[in-house]
Amino acid sequence: MKKLMHILFLSCLKATELIEKNLHFKLSFREKIQLKSHKMMCKACTKYEKHSIFIEKGISNIQKKKSSSTDTEKLKESIIIKLENLYKI
Amino acid sequence: MVSQHTEDLFNWAYHKTSSATIAEDLVQESFLAAAEKIDFFKAESSAKTWLFSILNHKIIDFYRKKVNQPIPIESQTLSTFFDEDGSWQETKKPKEWHEEEINLLDDTDFQIILKQCMDALPEKWSTCVKLKYLSEKSGEEICQEIGISPTNFWQIVHRAKLKLRDCIENNWFEN
Repeated sequence: MKKLMHILFLSCLKATELIEKNLHFKLSFREKIQLKSHKMMCKACTKYEKHSIFIEKGISNIQKKKSSSTDTEKLKESIIIKLENLYKI
Repeated sequence: MVSQHTEDLFNWAYHKTSSATIAEDLVQESFLAAAEKIDFFKAESSAKTWLFSILNHKIIDFYRKKVNQPIPIESQTLSTFFDEDGSWQETKKPKEWHEEEINLLDDTDFQIILKQCMDALPEKWSTCVKLKYLSEKSGEEICQEIGISPTNFWQIVHRAKLKLRDCIENNWFEN
């Protein structure tokens, strides 16, 4: 029975894979239907998807927030020195 | 030219790589490459545009090197989370998070946990997960640029997410 269910409506392993695929790529029509019906029956995978989207938002948040604290003046100096060396040769 | 554009170039490189050291190196390399290729510089395009295009190539190269060869898909992660039929292991089943109740994403402590969990992943995995937000590009474009197949890419992301989700659940929601 379980095997048959998996063939028709995917295993949780397959379903979570498709959830991730769906966040980056387009699913085929068949995949969409399979994923939808799997989620209708599976609470764990529905939660997984919610969490996964939440984590995506969290990562995007962290990446956006970053600002630098490097002294670009030092960097400028070192670049100028390197460039001067380059032209001397 | 150096004093005029270094800051913008650095900020851009830093935004893309999230590392000051790497950003500095990339900006330096870009200026050196620019100096070598100065003959190819077309007067009609602005120096800034030209420098940025060189820098962008350097950034893509940097990521390409990082994810360079196909990443071996190991099965160990999957067997931690799923049994041989592909059903969730009882202990690894996602639990209720109630993540929407508070503004968790803005919580500094939560962000620290998330970062720690990201850092605990193999480097190539966390790069794959981050790339989407660093480049604001579609999955297809990312794969093309860094030269891995789409299937390889989302299978890595899948494994990375399973671990990340589990790590956050254990370190934040269970406490």
